[in-house]
Amino acid sequence: MSPVDLAVAALLLVGVVVTLFSCLGVLVMRDAHDRLHYTAPATAIAPVAIAAAVLLEERVSAAGVKALLVALALLVTNPVLSHATARAARIRKFGEWTVREDLQEGGPRP
Amino acid sequence: MNEWTLAALALLAGLVPCGIVCLRGSPVDRLVGLEMAGTVDTLVLLVLAQAYDRAIYFDLALALALLSFAGGLVFARFLERWI
Repeated sequence: MSPVDLAVAALLLVGVVVTLFSCLGVLVMRDAHDRLHYTAPATAIAPVAIAAAVLLEERVSAAGVKALLVALALLVTNPVLSHATARAARIRKFGEWTVREDLQEGGPRP
Repeated sequence: MNEWTLAALALLAGLVPCGIVCLRGSPVDRLVGLEMAGTVDTLVLLVLAQAYDRAIYFDLALALALLSFAGGLVFARFLERWI
């Protein structure tokens, strides 16, 4: 087994283990905000590790570049999705955001 | 059966907790489970593309990553006030 094969296997293992533990975290947490935290490692660490494994095996080729693109897409889109979901959870719980009347510009209305 | 197929198989096991989350709790909890399942699916497709050694299959993972993002945003938008 060459060093490159070992590195590929190690990176794959990291990706798989991180994803599985994130799934367990999503399962055992209590509310949506807690659960949302556990989607982050699965979209930040795991895709990068797996894309690095593909890149190591395929070098810079169509497959390697596309794998990097997938990792990049997950990296960029997931924070936005987490924010949108957390916002939806908060609005469902406490209602729409409003500025308190006495804090509005120009002081309280007459 | 190489290490890529094994990794895909192990990643598939991660769908079980996501499925359980989708079956219980409040609608937002279920949405989080769905988003997580979308991520796991993307990773499975990524690993399977390499297992089958076809460069064109990587497009599938890319499409799923972008579409599950769009779907999640739509669900979040509707959960905010209408459902």
